[in-house]
Amino acid sequence: MAEAIQKKLKVEVEKYAQMQKEVSKSMSARQKLETQLTENNIVKEELDLLDCSNTVYKLIGPVLVKQDLDEAKATVAKRLEYINGEIQRYETLLKDMEKKSEQHREVLSSLQQEFQKAQGLAVGKV
Amino acid sequence: MAEKGQVDIEHLGGVIRLREEHEKVVKDCESRIQHWKKVSGDYEALNDRLKTLPDQLSYDIMVPFGPLAFMPGKLVHTNEVTVLLGDNWFTKCSAKQAQKIVDHRMKYVKNELDGLSKTIKDFEARVGFAKNLETISASKGDYVDIREEVGNNDSVVTKGKQRMAHKPNSKPKQDVFFDFKEEDEENEEESRDSGSRKCIMTEEELWARLDELEKLEELQDEQDKLSDNGDMNGEDTSSSSSEEEKDADAATPVNGLSLKPGWSALPSSTAPLRQDRKEEEDFEEEEEANCLPTIYFSHTVEPKKVRINTGKNTTLKFSERKEQKEHSKRKKKNGHSNGHAHHELHKITTPADLYRLFVDVKNGEPIPRKSILKSRSRENSVCSDTSESSAADFEERRIMGRSFSHDEATHSDTSDGITEEDSPTAVLLQPPSRFEAFSGTVIEKDPMPSAVPHLTISPPALPTILEKKQEEVAPDVAPPQQAPKRVSKFKAARLQQK
Repeated sequence: MAEAIQKKLKVEVEKYAQMQKEVSKSMSARQKLETQLTENNIVKEELDLLDCSNTVYKLIGPVLVKQDLDEAKATVAKRLEYINGEIQRYETLLKDMEKKSEQHREVLSSLQQEFQKAQGLAVGKV
Repeated sequence: MAEKGQVDIEHLGGVIRLREEHEKVVKDCESRIQHWKKVSGDYEALNDRLKTLPDQLSYDIMVPFGPLAFMPGKLVHTNEVTVLLGDNWFTKCSAKQAQKIVDHRMKYVKNELDGLSKTIKDFEARVGFAKNLETISASKGDYVDIREEVGNNDSVVTKGKQRMAHKPNSKPKQDVFFDFKEEDEENEEESRDSGSRKCIMTEEELWARLDELEKLEELQDEQDKLSDNGDMNGEDTSSSSSEEEKDADAATPVNGLSLKPGWSALPSSTAPLRQDRKEEEDFEEEEEANCLPTIYFSHTVEPKKVRINTGKNTTLKFSERKEQKEHSKRKKKNGHSNGHAHHELHKITTPADLYRLFVDVKNGEPIPRKSILKSRSRENSVCSDTSESSAADFEERRIMGRSFSHDEATHSDTSDGITEEDSPTAVLLQPPSRFEAFSGTVIEKDPMPSAVPHLTISPPALPTILEKKQEEVAPDVAPPQQAPKRVSKFKAARLQQK
């Protein structure tokens, strides 16, 4: 009885650990997006400061590619929007993951209790 | 105290942890602040460089060549600066433009620094609070936790009385109206059995009171007329009227059966005399008082009450009726064939007694005088018809009553049973008397009228009275009826006298 519960407990713990990992992954991805967001915001603002006289380059791999200022601005704006969308997506994903992890947590705690009871019984019997 | 100590320890542990967490945050903030300060310094230096760079067209410098070597070289195009905007975006701009960009970035860094400093201040405060809490929990410091337990308010002294919710007073009148139902009747019966009439009284009190007054008045009138009329009907009417009034509210059958308790209640309320009479009756085991309306107070277990449509508007409880009948019968038999319970007659405790006593003997049978107020109006009313129907029922009841009497009569004498059978007329009277206090005097000339609750001593009068009692459901009805009755009764009485 206790062993069975123990096994169950292990399984549940693994599941829960996985869930937690996924959650942390999502969290980190979201954080990246956050930094990108801020960065792109700065880029956008700085591009606004520039005028047409300055050439804009984009680094693609080892190559600096000339870009039009307006194009650059548009590109940056699009990137910004994309980043925002990604952040939203990740947020919802995180929420779901949180809920799932909560459920897992509850299951885990209940299993733990059972296990303890079983242990207690075993001890009592012994 | 041990528990408290434990609690403190727990608190202490929690507080310590809280403090530690806060301190972590503070440290983190400090590191970030350091970082940003460094960045800010770098930008400052860059700014300075950019300022001085365009001063010369070219500079001789030692160019780093790999990680370990330098090469002499020249720095040209001092004004052309390729700026990394971020996210792999570059732009070529002049030194001044670069400076603008740097300034812009500096703003950003400054914002970050400000936010971080705020955060760190906040958390430092929290840390201080946690430290204080820690000391308190550990009872190290001078702070003392003051706790006041909220005890029971029993000992709370309140000035004056505490307010108590007043229970809604059940107005007797209204209660009478609605409470007079089988349930009440049953209760009444029970109470009768137990001898407690109070429960009923409350309900019927109002009615009883009305009846009381009425009867008193009637009594007065009757007394005046006694010499003249010698009507027993008066008693009946009074009793019946009172009964009607009272019973109207309570199912009329109740009146019959409930005579016991009902009567006890009614009489008590209406007139002390009555009550006494009834009480006596009750205690006498044959609820006599039947001289007047037949109040059969059977202490025995009341048979199940069955509603009998005794008339158009009257319903009697069958069992009650039977009992009443039987009692009345018995009493009648025991009493004078005149319809008076002589033994009872001699006692005048209630106005009803008067009616009982003074009975007009007509045709060898005592005809109870009816109260002037009651008899006539009844005649004219629909009630009169009830006499016939009630008569039929009466017969029925009589028979049943007899059977019942055998069963129930704890106090009923066997002779009563016999008497019941013997005198149909008496019997006839009795059932009606059940409804009304008046019973004895009502010796009907013919069974039919007598069948009608004893009201019909003078056929017109009795039925009317009885009906009134039975029919009346709402007390309101009673008063108005009485008023018109009075007039009619007077006339009726006069007519009778004539």
